[in-house]
Amino acid sequence: MARLELDDITKHFDDDGETIVAVDDASIDIEDGEFLVLVGPSGCGKSTTLRMIAGLETITDGELRIGGRRVNEAKPRDRDIAMVFQSYALYPHMTVRENMSFGLEESTDLSGSEIDERVESATDTMGISDLLDRKPSELSGGQQQRVALGRAIVREPEVFLMDEPLSNLDAKLRAQMRTELQRLQEDLDTTTVYVTHDQTEAMTMGDRIAILNDGLLQQVATPLEAYHAPANQFVAGFIGEPSMNFFDVDLEGDSVVGDGLDYPVSDDVRAKLDTDALVLGIRPQDIELVEEVESGHDVAVTVDVVEPMGDENNVYLRLPDSPAGETFIANVDGRTLVDEGDDIVARIPEEAVHFFDRRSGEALRNREFDDEADVDLSL
Amino acid sequence: MRGKLAAYLGRLVRRNRVRADGGEVNANATRDGFVSDEFTASLPYWLPPFVVMGLAVYGAILWNFFLSLTDTSGFQTPNYANLDFEMYAKAFADPVFIGALRNTFALLVAFTVLCLVVGLVVAVLVDQGIRYENTFRTIYLLPMALSFVVTAQFWLWMYNQQNGLVNIILGVVGLGPYEWIGNPSLVLGAVVFALIWQFSGYAMVVYLAGLRAIPTEQFEAARVDGATTLRMYWRVILPQLKGATISASVVLMVFALKAFDFLYSLTGSYYPPKGSDILATMMVRQAFVANNRAYAAAIGIMLFALALVIVAPYLLYQYRAGEL
Repeated sequence: MARLELDDITKHFDDDGETIVAVDDASIDIEDGEFLVLVGPSGCGKSTTLRMIAGLETITDGELRIGGRRVNEAKPRDRDIAMVFQSYALYPHMTVRENMSFGLEESTDLSGSEIDERVESATDTMGISDLLDRKPSELSGGQQQRVALGRAIVREPEVFLMDEPLSNLDAKLRAQMRTELQRLQEDLDTTTVYVTHDQTEAMTMGDRIAILNDGLLQQVATPLEAYHAPANQFVAGFIGEPSMNFFDVDLEGDSVVGDGLDYPVSDDVRAKLDTDALVLGIRPQDIELVEEVESGHDVAVTVDVVEPMGDENNVYLRLPDSPAGETFIANVDGRTLVDEGDDIVARIPEEAVHFFDRRSGEALRNREFDDEADVDLSL
Repeated sequence: MRGKLAAYLGRLVRRNRVRADGGEVNANATRDGFVSDEFTASLPYWLPPFVVMGLAVYGAILWNFFLSLTDTSGFQTPNYANLDFEMYAKAFADPVFIGALRNTFALLVAFTVLCLVVGLVVAVLVDQGIRYENTFRTIYLLPMALSFVVTAQFWLWMYNQQNGLVNIILGVVGLGPYEWIGNPSLVLGAVVFALIWQFSGYAMVVYLAGLRAIPTEQFEAARVDGATTLRMYWRVILPQLKGATISASVVLMVFALKAFDFLYSLTGSYYPPKGSDILATMMVRQAFVANNRAYAAAIGIMLFALALVIVAPYLLYQYRAGEL
């Protein structure tokens, strides 16, 4: 187990004389035993970052340290890491046992019986003891996934690296493996870097999540921080399902005004807004649907589409002046009965509203969220 | 019982319905089971090639086999009344045949194995994401497109004792000059080398396709697992190239059996350089110079059996992989 430090890590790719910046000055400090999730949309540089940690990609600039030791130039075999690939990358001509012992045979001086012992204990942990003599082609996707994880844990490395390991599984199995993986990481207490594009995985699994976009690190925070106190508009929109609603607004006197929206803001909030060009953000879960307009925070809207999910409904709402197709989402209790075309009132509570600088995207005001209170609850 | 009856009635009804529709169905052709409609209808498509192949290839092989059991020589008409294995017995008592057989095996094994090794090494090098990769691939493959007549002449020059490039290069490090073609103990090696030059490009292309089919993650997983480059290729990549190895070696071995053209072109006669006589050259010589037609046919059948033995593992492999 070790601490993993990324210090201003930069990666440039050369594409026909043009330099493409894949990762730009990323600095993350990953504590010993921590589960860090690297999350971001396709092409944001998260996989490149992981591959640099693995040693499969060279580091253009910056320093990478594992357990305090600089490993920029070290070969993958000298980094004491184990990696789980999205495609699992099991060796098709080897049995499960051979797949799992391969790494130990190549990287350690353990004797045959010691290797067997470790392989068997790892297969016990993963619940695949009865598959030891099968070839990967004879296994289901979920079983292959377990073997791939087993192949990593049998090495007992300092750091686990996982590149979207669950994305080839069906939804049900994915949810199950998510929990299992979390439990496993807690038991082994091994520093883990986990790459995913799925914000649900990021939220549920990580001790902390690092959000990347366009090669730039946007925020490194606990899942709740990222959710409630996003550093910028990108993080706010990326984390949370359904995505946060955004409205372009301008600060005019006591209220912010946008297309079909005139929303009064209190002095406390206004004090934090140091520019006029703003984006108002509100999570679908924070919008309430009511009958009557009672205050300036209530907006008359028309129901466009209702997506019933059973326990909850995603209600697509349209402001009176906005064109068809331009909607925002309210996520309400599944028993709330609304129909397409209903005229209704959306209540946007001020304490739940976020404001972002429209030019820089930087968060100026986040919803009220008491970090301390949350910690108390979890104790 | 009731089920069978119902099925029969069903067929009857269907048949009647077809005819009622006015379709031109020959009632005789629909006799269930034995000869079906489809069979008759498809005859014109496969029967002509079937007959041509059957007579020209398999018929000829069979005829050749019977010829080998006679004692025919010269221009006499074969006497098929008296068949025996005399020619085969004669072959195994003939030192020329034993020598040719030994040379054939030596050529076959040395050429195939070395060709695969060279092809694999070149394929691995070309697969490193080098610049101008396609150009290199074409350059390596090009010799294969050349005729044996051309390459034989080319290597005659290369192996020339006085001013051949091979002896000049070896002369630089103080070796030689060697009589590559004239020395019976060197000539087979020289021929194998020339053939490797010509065909290793083919092995490279087959291996390259095999390497490309292996996902990059396999290489990366092996590296993260701590394998050195050599160990990675040996334990992870090479076993996955089994299919490529088998198909390439079958083709190369068949080429080796056909090395006749090359040897013929070296001297321009049915007498290849001393020490390089193989079954194919001996067979042709027996048939068309010595006029021992039955003997030549027997050698031909043994050569054919050899080819079958070579192809059999490949067919078996394909069959196991479910591709046959």
